[in-house]
Amino acid sequence: MSPTAVLYVAQAIHGLAYGMLLFLVASGLTLIFGMMGILNIAHASFAMLSAYFCYQVLLMTGNFWVALLIAPVVAGICGVLTERFLLRTVHKHGHLAELLITVGIMTVILEIVKIFWGAESLVVKIPQSLSGLVNFAGLTYPIYRLFIIGLSIVILGFMALILFKTRLGKIVRAAVSDADMVSALGINTPLVFMLVFGIGIWLAGVAGAVAGPLLTVFPGMADQLGMDAFVVVVVGGFGSLGGAFIVALFLGELNAYGIQFIPRLAPVLMFAFMAFVLAFKPMGLFGERE
Amino acid sequence: MRNKLYKWILWAVVIIILAVFPRVLGIYYTNFFVGFVIFSLYAVTLNLLLGYMGVLSFGHAMFFGTGAYTTAIALTHIQGFPLLPAVLVGGLAGGLLALILSPLLVRVSGTAFAMLTLAFGQLIFVLALKYREVTGGEDGIGGYPIPPLNIPGVLSVDMTDQINFYYFAVAVIAVCLLILWFYTKTPFGSLVVGIRDNAMRMDYLGFNLPQTKAINLTVCGAFAGIAGAVHALLMKLVSTVGVLDIHNSFAPIMMAYVGGVGSFFGPIIGSGVLHLLEDLVIRFTARIGLVNGAIFILVVLYVPMGLVGLFSAAKAKWFHKEKVS
Amino acid sequence: MNILETKGVYHDFSGLQVLFDVNLQVEEGERHAVIGPNGAGKTTLFNVITGTYQPSRGQVFFKGKEITGARPHKLMRLGVGRSFQITSTFNRLTTFQNIRLAILSKKGIRFHLFRKVDKMQDITKETDEVLRRINLDRERDMPAGMLSYGKHRSLEISLALAADPDLIMLDEPTAGMSRDETHYAVELIRRLTEGKTVVIIEHDMDVVFSLADRITVLHYGQILATGPPVEIRQNQAVKDAYLGETEVEFV
Repeated sequence: MSPTAVLYVAQAIHGLAYGMLLFLVASGLTLIFGMMGILNIAHASFAMLSAYFCYQVLLMTGNFWVALLIAPVVAGICGVLTERFLLRTVHKHGHLAELLITVGIMTVILEIVKIFWGAESLVVKIPQSLSGLVNFAGLTYPIYRLFIIGLSIVILGFMALILFKTRLGKIVRAAVSDADMVSALGINTPLVFMLVFGIGIWLAGVAGAVAGPLLTVFPGMADQLGMDAFVVVVVGGFGSLGGAFIVALFLGELNAYGIQFIPRLAPVLMFAFMAFVLAFKPMGLFGERE
Repeated sequence: MRNKLYKWILWAVVIIILAVFPRVLGIYYTNFFVGFVIFSLYAVTLNLLLGYMGVLSFGHAMFFGTGAYTTAIALTHIQGFPLLPAVLVGGLAGGLLALILSPLLVRVSGTAFAMLTLAFGQLIFVLALKYREVTGGEDGIGGYPIPPLNIPGVLSVDMTDQINFYYFAVAVIAVCLLILWFYTKTPFGSLVVGIRDNAMRMDYLGFNLPQTKAINLTVCGAFAGIAGAVHALLMKLVSTVGVLDIHNSFAPIMMAYVGGVGSFFGPIIGSGVLHLLEDLVIRFTARIGLVNGAIFILVVLYVPMGLVGLFSAAKAKWFHKEKVS
Repeated sequence: MNILETKGVYHDFSGLQVLFDVNLQVEEGERHAVIGPNGAGKTTLFNVITGTYQPSRGQVFFKGKEITGARPHKLMRLGVGRSFQITSTFNRLTTFQNIRLAILSKKGIRFHLFRKVDKMQDITKETDEVLRRINLDRERDMPAGMLSYGKHRSLEISLALAADPDLIMLDEPTAGMSRDETHYAVELIRRLTEGKTVVIIEHDMDVVFSLADRITVLHYGQILATGPPVEIRQNQAVKDAYLGETEVEFV
């Protein structure tokens, strides 16, 4: 295989892995927005929080898998608490207030992370079992990235199963479509909200924990991931999981190839694309709800 | 009549305080005050969009930053670029940016507007980072000459003297604030507020919404650019951090909210409160970000009408009590 | 002359046909009511005329000139005003400020940046006059959102009228009003639309028959009949359409 082909494939895998991470983050974000009307500016911050938790648990137990298991759950709990005590209280003040409070939460999480772990980049080592390369069909692939892709697919498959094959999933989908209607049917919407919010944050937490070794764990982690996730949600459509999936993968590849071949132009293209979609199709390419 | 007298006295007192301020409080607070007025103007322009037109500009730093960078670049590359034009060119740049973006910005409102401005804000931030030849990237642009205030044949005031600069900056910004205050009182100002309350009805009353919004956006961009320009002159250094980054987009939002988005002076009060708070907190801890964030959350939760709103409500209650007793 | 005319207007919402071949003719100076059961397409017709929707097919003419799909603000400047079924005012502004906006529009004061609007005496006078005529002068400084329902509705209608259009389109102006409020509103409309052309969507038949010079009946998006009240009362097709839909006494 020629070196350029290897390069292309490597970039494709990078892009796919990053795209999957993006989708993990964006799926929670888009579900939360679709259902609760809240655009959670702090969403990626929770992902970052989870990355820091993962680092900490890894430090304390030396076991990556344990860390990977615990960190997102803790982040998810933080998310649930945030929803219960902050977001619910501010709901009566309107969408603007909700948006602004997530800005405050983002700021606070950033500072907390700096207080406990400092402002330096922290290294999370890829566990032995996942490091290195694997050979297949004459090409080499980094195992960890394949792991990311694989894990994401498993989790998302599981989520899809719940969403489309269970009663709970049906309720959630209905609530994303029309929360008031679901409430009128006598279903405990606050509970559903809390659940979906928690799961959304947990998904972001998984992405954060898993991304730690890749992006290194540092306070600015949330910025890049968060912005990209927003682009995904906005372009893919608020509330649309399918849209988020397609755009996330597209963006992942655009990032990977873009950074390689057109480093200056890539972010410009991305934002320009998002701006145009917003201006002409404010609900996103596949979105249904405003 | 008495009310008017009180108002004139109040303003006279304010002017006197402003005049003697640097002599009394020293260099540190002089510069501190200039920072406060810069952000007051900046926050007011944000509020002309938020409180007055009902849209949240989430990337407002792009106007501030464009102004700051334009001024810095002009002073760096053009020999003998004079002072006032340096400020005005920053304003021009900010206004131009807003004008260029307005065809897209006027099409949306609400969350979409916030997202769109966020996107553009980030875009410009990234552009500034990447195009080092123009913007100096992360290092930014510094060391440009601060021109003196020259009125040919009359006087030449050295602006590297911080006290002189204080008077200049406060005067410029005071004039800007006055202009903007008057702007809100014009018929056009009432159109903007009409759009906030009921854009659809404004359309049906015969007002050209896109044009009206575009003009307001341009005005806000221009004056935010002026704030950035004065900032560039104050700091003598312009880089992406603190000028174009997202935290500089959040700062005016916090200030407007804390002070109260429902009034013209709210953002100014918010700017004052947050600046004082930062100055105070910094003596104890470096974690002003945390304090700011926590305060912001508390304000959004419990005092969404801001300090001005709180004060008005208290005043109304007090007067009601007076009347009753 | 027909001040307003629609020719062959069709409109559908993603496949759902709402208007079929609507040919409405409104004469200058008349009061023309559009009635029909719920869902007949009356508000949609209004929306097509006032530029909120582009009709899928057909044309709209105002004073002989084509205005199909023209934007609402352009239409207003040409002389078409509109009120809404669901009260749509500037709730945080005072009643005075509400009407003032309409007056500013009427006088073409849009991009005026050189005077304080409060100091513009002629605007203030004219606004106060309108407030007097619509009997809201006592609520002058009250935020519109705090007006009682009837007065709020009055303000709603007055916003459409204060800008002094030649053609006024009122969408269910008396919706939700009590007997007395309705009576009052009808008088207000009658008074304020002297010499103007009015097209009014209404469900209240008393209002229709007391105000209208001519009536157009819309049913499932099609015009069933057009004519003076006397004719419509006796029209069999209309009676059939209404039987069981609305309790109306066509005696």
